[in-house]
Amino acid sequence: MQIPEDLRYAPNHEWLRQTGDTIRLGISDFAQDALGDIVFVDLPEVGTSFSAGDTFGEVESTKSVSDVYCPIDATVTAVNGALEDAPELINADPYGEGWFIELAPGEGATLDGLMDPAAYREYTE
Amino acid sequence: MHTTHIRHAHEALGARFTDFGGWDMPLQYAGVLSEHAAVRESAGAFDVSHLGRFSVDGEGATALLRSQLCNDIAAVNPGRAQYTMALNVNGGVEDDIIVWRFDEESYWVLPNGANVDEILARFREAAPPSVTIDTPRDHTVLFAVQGPKALDAIESVIGMRPGRFRVARGTFEGQDLWVGGTGYTGERGAEIAVTHDAGAALWQALMDAGVVPCGLGARDTLRLEMGYPLWGQDLDETTTPLEAGLGWVVNWDHEFVGRDALVRQREQGLGRKLIGFTTPGRRPPRHGYAVRSDQGSGVVSSGNISPVLGHGIGLAYIDSADEITGLEVDIRGTWTAAAVVDPPFLKK
Repeated sequence: MQIPEDLRYAPNHEWLRQTGDTIRLGISDFAQDALGDIVFVDLPEVGTSFSAGDTFGEVESTKSVSDVYCPIDATVTAVNGALEDAPELINADPYGEGWFIELAPGEGATLDGLMDPAAYREYTE
Repeated sequence: MHTTHIRHAHEALGARFTDFGGWDMPLQYAGVLSEHAAVRESAGAFDVSHLGRFSVDGEGATALLRSQLCNDIAAVNPGRAQYTMALNVNGGVEDDIIVWRFDEESYWVLPNGANVDEILARFREAAPPSVTIDTPRDHTVLFAVQGPKALDAIESVIGMRPGRFRVARGTFEGQDLWVGGTGYTGERGAEIAVTHDAGAALWQALMDAGVVPCGLGARDTLRLEMGYPLWGQDLDETTTPLEAGLGWVVNWDHEFVGRDALVRQREQGLGRKLIGFTTPGRRPPRHGYAVRSDQGSGVVSSGNISPVLGHGIGLAYIDSADEITGLEVDIRGTWTAAAVVDPPFLKK
């Protein structure tokens, strides 16, 4: 199970990577493996704002449908359009081409309250 | 919890397991979509040891089956299989069943795993003293081998090439073997039972022949592409075969439990029926989603994405016997236009 060192992790198995003012979000290797083959993903439109803990989309596998959560106050600045036709990218490359959305953090929002890789590894064991 | 006798073989292949009617069985290995593709394009093997199987032998066996099951087993010759159902007195489906007719008065009855106890009890209660009922599930494994290359693989492993709905007995590595040219995927192939001692060797021989291990996840998407009903979702004791569009499984030329109720329903007309539908896009319709139409409303009994077609497919009960127009499915809060399609969804 891959848990990259440069990411932060939320309890519902989202990962977040901050680069400057932009935060990219996806779901972890653990999550994609548990979901199985992903066949559809429902993502928000650019400009949508979320409060910490809001559901921002849904991931559907052949087995089930699952919510995905935004763990911080943030506004969507980009959506990975490739997932519309190729949701299998989430299974194949969850931390790369399978990213979901990019966010601008809200006033004072940080990733400090999220799990670091060591904590997430323990969380998934 | 029961599990398959060769569980270790599946664990070695990286299987993920699921509880299926009290049996802990392989759900998937590499993944549902790749396993689905293997069965459509090549050959896949499923361990379906959880499926019921009991033998019915002796004078009066045929009469017993005829009285308990709504299709007429006497209509097929020894050496053949038949799809049939056990109904209750109201005409509801207690189980859908495959029967393997080995000889004039020698059968295997294969109910769904979840219904074995009920169907077995029913047969034992109705059986005359001359009929012997045994439970080979206790000492056999059962594998379904399915796909366009399945028969080649089967022949290379067991030296038999079962025809469609043909059944036979044989041996594998000196152990008893039973085989039927039946399945649940729409592909050619067979279901093969062997005694426990030969189970691991048979599974390994199939793997060595290039057959891909497949789990119950792919089995469900494969059966749905063919529009085959799943008991507990598309059929249950409250639905009749006529409502389910399975009138062809009912043979009216003999007496069986539930016949009177079906005759009444046939005369009075249906209050609801099972329809097939497709939805555009990749978002799966699922069991329990609401449907509506110009004629009436209802609920999805089975739904998913078709891995081959790349869009949604499903079965739904709708409270009208009329031709359905304006069908829509509530997919996660969005009423989505759906096309009424007679299964199979995958035209082969």
